[in-house]
Amino acid sequence: MACTILLGPARAVVAAELSVTVRDNAGRPFAGAVVVAEPLTRAPPAAAPLKAEMDQRNLQFVPNLLVIRTGTSVSFPNSDQVWHQVYSFSGAKTFQLSLYAGRAHRPVVFDKPGLVTLGCNIHDGMIGYIYVTDSPWHGLTDQNGQFRFAHLPAGNYTVKVWHQRFNDPVVSLGLDVTATEGTPVTAAFQLKRNLKPALHSHGTEKKWEDY
Amino acid sequence: MGRLLIALGLLASLPVAAHDFDFSADLRLVGASGQTSWLNGGLGKLRFDEDHDGLRLGQLRFAYRGNPTETLRFTAEAFAYGDDDVNAVDLTEIFLSWRPVPQSLWRSEVKLGAFYAPISLENRMRGWRSPYSLNFSAINSWVGEELRTIGLEYNLDWLGQQQGSPFNVGFTAAAYGWNDPAGIIVAMRGWAVHDRQTTLFGKVGQPGQGVIDGRTLFYDDIDGKVGYYAGLTATWRGVLEFRALRYDNHGDPTAEAPAIDDYAWHTVFDSYGLRWTPGDQWTVIAQVLTGNTAAGDVPPPNYWRFDSWFVLGSWQRGKHRLTLRYDDFSMRQLVSHFPGYNRDNGQAVTAAWLLQINDRWSAVIEGLRIDSELAARRRLGAPVAAEEQQWQLALRYDL
Repeated sequence: MACTILLGPARAVVAAELSVTVRDNAGRPFAGAVVVAEPLTRAPPAAAPLKAEMDQRNLQFVPNLLVIRTGTSVSFPNSDQVWHQVYSFSGAKTFQLSLYAGRAHRPVVFDKPGLVTLGCNIHDGMIGYIYVTDSPWHGLTDQNGQFRFAHLPAGNYTVKVWHQRFNDPVVSLGLDVTATEGTPVTAAFQLKRNLKPALHSHGTEKKWEDY
Repeated sequence: MGRLLIALGLLASLPVAAHDFDFSADLRLVGASGQTSWLNGGLGKLRFDEDHDGLRLGQLRFAYRGNPTETLRFTAEAFAYGDDDVNAVDLTEIFLSWRPVPQSLWRSEVKLGAFYAPISLENRMRGWRSPYSLNFSAINSWVGEELRTIGLEYNLDWLGQQQGSPFNVGFTAAAYGWNDPAGIIVAMRGWAVHDRQTTLFGKVGQPGQGVIDGRTLFYDDIDGKVGYYAGLTATWRGVLEFRALRYDNHGDPTAEAPAIDDYAWHTVFDSYGLRWTPGDQWTVIAQVLTGNTAAGDVPPPNYWRFDSWFVLGSWQRGKHRLTLRYDDFSMRQLVSHFPGYNRDNGQAVTAAWLLQINDRWSAVIEGLRIDSELAARRRLGAPVAAEEQQWQLALRYDL
């Protein structure tokens, strides 16, 4: 889901604070949702090489959702005692890491924006998500369903929120954005539809196998 | 079978991307009461009996998994049960599986060798062991006794969870041979509750007064016909798993192998199972199996129907797991060319407490009670009705 907001007067050097909250259709705060503020003008280049990590522990991707900037290299260590075989056939990044334990593989560079869904060919219950965005301004909501951009350069942004459990389409969301001089800008997203049920992975035993 | 082993051996000797050797040991203190075990020449339904209890070897298990190539996997599982089988250590499974990395929502898998059909929702540990209790349900005890796919299996999975669906769905189909005696044990002995998997080159129990005991080379082909099974697996959110399978070994009931004095048994059954794992603590499994078997060269052949179901509830927290399982089973012979019709009817209750001491050591205390009425016991001069109990204390090590 997305909305476009205008942050204060268009003075390029002024930074604003943007606070985004996400609530489910019952009004409860939703933690762990991706929040991205996409500038309508070109985003500045990254200052340093960007790195991230998605571990594999107890037959789960940990964390199972990452939001990263385009160009970030992500390492996929395997902390389990069993092998994993990580793959993605998503349009934004198609790759596979041959069977491995530990840190056998080089990090994978995510060079296109979009959503990448990860799987393990040995353990079908393992699902991970990497949300790749061109914007340097992104994060995940906290326990209060909130994410705060402390120093967002003034300008026009499209604010998007996403999570794998959302049923709502990209647009048509209840939205309340107010901008007042000197106070933080707030954007509130409220889902209209029920959340998709969460996926569970219970295979925490190293000796378990599909029979 | 020999050629198959050589082929598998050659493939196993290829350069391997990843190796995994595995070993498990399981020592038991057993107290058993009831009739002489079907494994010791009687028609009792337990693995152990009054003359065969005390300190016993539960099992030694040796396993190997290796990947000759990235997507080709070789699996071998071997067990020693310490009960004078043909070979002290023998294979229960040996197969190659090829599972290419998915390029879309559809993924294929091919298995070749000797392995278990996807029937059990209970036997989910390596070596087809149960994480919930020492004994398996009556249904899966029987699967471990009589059924092994020696042939080819194809699986087609739809990985819906990859695109946000709560479902993954899998289809399976197999063609196999060397399973013509399948059906004889459930027809002659009825159902049982234990954890003794029949090995690929072994025999079933010791010679005695029973009908099936001491049979050697259980996985035989008598009629040269190819059997099949086809099934469906669906998982929802990883919380519910449903399985359905139609199995037909396509045996020719009139085919006879005089050398081993036996017929091909034509065994057909349907199996349905549901496993519910609502959180990290609870697991509930229910399974139903209903089928029939026929054998004999005079038409109509001898004919038996067999049915069983069970419900298992298991609760886990930290190092502890508690499991309770109720089994119900029946078998009845409807056509008989011998004097008398065999019949089996009964229930079993299993209660187990598993303690995971550390990463490698675990202990299990398990009680089992089976009440049954098996008509074939008359021929042994034993009472038809039996109340059998078995206590086991197991100390287990896993590499």
